[in-house]
Amino acid sequence: MTTLAASLSPRQGGMPSSAVALVGILALVGLWELAARALSGAYVLAAPSEVAVYLVENRALMGRNLAITLGNAAVGFAIGNLAAILLAMVALIWPRSERVITSLALLVFCLPLVATGPILRVFFGPGAGPQIALAALAVYYTTLIPLLVGLRAAPAAWFDLVRSYGRGEAATLVHVRTMASLPYLFAGLQIAAPAAFLGAMVGEFTGAEAGMGVLTIRAMRALDVEMTWALATIATAVAIVAYSAIGLLARRILLDAPPVILTASAGGAAGRAGGGVSGVVVAIAIALAVWWTGLVLFDLNAFFAKRPGDVLDALLFAPDADATRATLAAALAETSVFLLPGYLAGIVAGAALAILFTLLPTVASVAMPAALALRSVPIVTTAPLVVLVLGRGATGTIVLVAIMVFFPTLVACLHGLRQAPGQILDVFDSYGAGAVSRLLQVRIPAMLPAFFAAARMGVPASVLAVTVVEWLATGNGIGSLMAMSASLSDYDMLWSAVVIVSVLSALGYAAVGHVERRVLKIYAPEQLA
Amino acid sequence: MGPDMTAPPAVGCFGLSKTFGGGMEAVRPFDLVFDAGKTTALVGPSGCGKSTILRLIAGLEDPSAGRVEIAGAPPSETLKSAGLSIAFQDPSLLPWRTVRGNIELALRLARQPVDRSAVDQLVALVGLDGFADTRPAELSGGMRQRAAIARALATGPQLLLLDEPFGAVDELTRHQLTQDLPRIWEARGTTALLVTHSVSEAVMLSDRIVVLSPRPAEVVDDISVHLPRPREPGVARLPDFAALADRVSEALARGMAAGRPSLAAQ
Repeated sequence: MTTLAASLSPRQGGMPSSAVALVGILALVGLWELAARALSGAYVLAAPSEVAVYLVENRALMGRNLAITLGNAAVGFAIGNLAAILLAMVALIWPRSERVITSLALLVFCLPLVATGPILRVFFGPGAGPQIALAALAVYYTTLIPLLVGLRAAPAAWFDLVRSYGRGEAATLVHVRTMASLPYLFAGLQIAAPAAFLGAMVGEFTGAEAGMGVLTIRAMRALDVEMTWALATIATAVAIVAYSAIGLLARRILLDAPPVILTASAGGAAGRAGGGVSGVVVAIAIALAVWWTGLVLFDLNAFFAKRPGDVLDALLFAPDADATRATLAAALAETSVFLLPGYLAGIVAGAALAILFTLLPTVASVAMPAALALRSVPIVTTAPLVVLVLGRGATGTIVLVAIMVFFPTLVACLHGLRQAPGQILDVFDSYGAGAVSRLLQVRIPAMLPAFFAAARMGVPASVLAVTVVEWLATGNGIGSLMAMSASLSDYDMLWSAVVIVSVLSALGYAAVGHVERRVLKIYAPEQLA
Repeated sequence: MGPDMTAPPAVGCFGLSKTFGGGMEAVRPFDLVFDAGKTTALVGPSGCGKSTILRLIAGLEDPSAGRVEIAGAPPSETLKSAGLSIAFQDPSLLPWRTVRGNIELALRLARQPVDRSAVDQLVALVGLDGFADTRPAELSGGMRQRAAIARALATGPQLLLLDEPFGAVDELTRHQLTQDLPRIWEARGTTALLVTHSVSEAVMLSDRIVVLSPRPAEVVDDISVHLPRPREPGVARLPDFAALADRVSEALARGMAAGRPSLAAQ
């Protein structure tokens, strides 16, 4: 069984823990108010009371724009998830396609959303097209992968049971697979709901007429502290409400909370697809083919619709190819200075805090629900806040990237630490082993699959965070280069940057997957079966 | 023409063997014919491949060599007509369905009408009165196994395959079930194959006991059980019962010894 399947059993959430979460959130709001009072005059922090007043005074404006973004997010959510369900069905019916489907899905998932936005903007023209497309792009992967696992998650005996009555694959799908995959589907949808909102907002960053993203840009340009905080508060609230609503729905339907989902373990669908370098190569080849035929079929203007050959030309053969490569390399180098420390700090801090919580169980029982709630917050939507508080320098960007990977890693690791088999812990107890040796010998090995799953998903997430904050605020690195290329209509540069960032991100994901398999081979061989 | 599925079928294994990938020989070629309408127990140590034999007979596993015939036809014919049922070692109840829901699913899979009162009777028979609308998660291991047995009996199979069906059932309930359940399939004249490692269970339930050696399984002894039917609780105190149990235990021990030549040589 995979980590996913193992996570089906323990009950998460329920009334007591949501009450605890509420207490945690109230405490956070209290701290925030105190900090704002202490820092009044510094123009970085708006107190919750000020935010509340602002929201009441500007409720018409906020309500109108929230409705627009929610609408786009909902349409994108529906499209993205339907696509995920269809793709999962194709992979199920035709197993040989699974590897290609998941690899391709990963590559598309690694597209830098901010830079994809302006390209989509040119395709769709004004209107909601790009926002909806980005919302759909932001959700389908996190639904597809758990669903693929879920459709196969049932014990072999259930399939034997259906076969023993002489029934085939269709009956298996109806009576076993569909129901067995529901918890996984819901877990995916739960993560997808806030992600769709994030996708729609990022789409609005890149030149929409209205919506939360547009207001965010306006607030940042005007250095409107209260508006920035009010917008971030709404985004956070929407994320938590959407996450909880789907959790509630799942509990009604499944009679249980959905599993605290990570992603598929390395042995699962994602591992097979994203892990191997060969998988990425196949995916790249197919992506190139789809890209090229798409542009040819739709007969799009070659000025902005660059084809694979154009990008190759711009990077290798054009007279200014050297300059293009140098610009991209410089921007990537600049970005990596923020990205790598942020990413590493995020996963290390997430894992370390999870371990600390295990040693202090009381703290963990309070922190876990709050962490679960905060995990759902699309941190990128609060990027303007981080910039406001920590400035446009390296610290702000690194912290943002770190926070982006921190919460999912924390939740995954806490969950993984709980998977430690009780009987083995009992054996340790019977020898009088201390907390530290139990931790080192049992709990941390049990945590590794969850840790690596989070570390893998953290790669595209941190790339998203760094490109968004560079695009919006800092004026550094590849994100800023993409923003400038978009505004200067330098589509050769923009497409080149999108391609390179996607490929590097997918390779980063694959590299973590590679380390994961080597480590799990020793500590959790059952995960690779 | 398919096999006649209205009468209990005889089951034949001819040169049947199974080698898994990696060369692990689970079942060495053997020939056995199980008589129609009788209950046969396959007794052997854990991991000897007896479950594999059951799966081969059910057509859930393809043999590496040889063939299975149920009423003279391959198992796929029996599967098609929904003429067999298996009670798996693990109850394998669908967790989102109640006890009743799991039993009704079997009827639906077998394309049989769902008779609510018949399901209720069956639930009562396995001692789960009042639990028909309970989900498996809220049942004990033994109760789940009983629900799985009820599910296997629900479709009125001509061939019933039981894989350690009472493994998780407590001693008292097991006693009760070994009294009650055989009556159902005896009354219907079902051909039943029971896999177990419990000697007394085998003697209590069956008309014939095939004793298997450790893996790869080979037949060590083939014993006819001529105890009166229906078996009353007093049967266990008959001298014949004890003699049969001794013979099965001896055969098991012989099989074990043969499986460890180094020990036997000493």
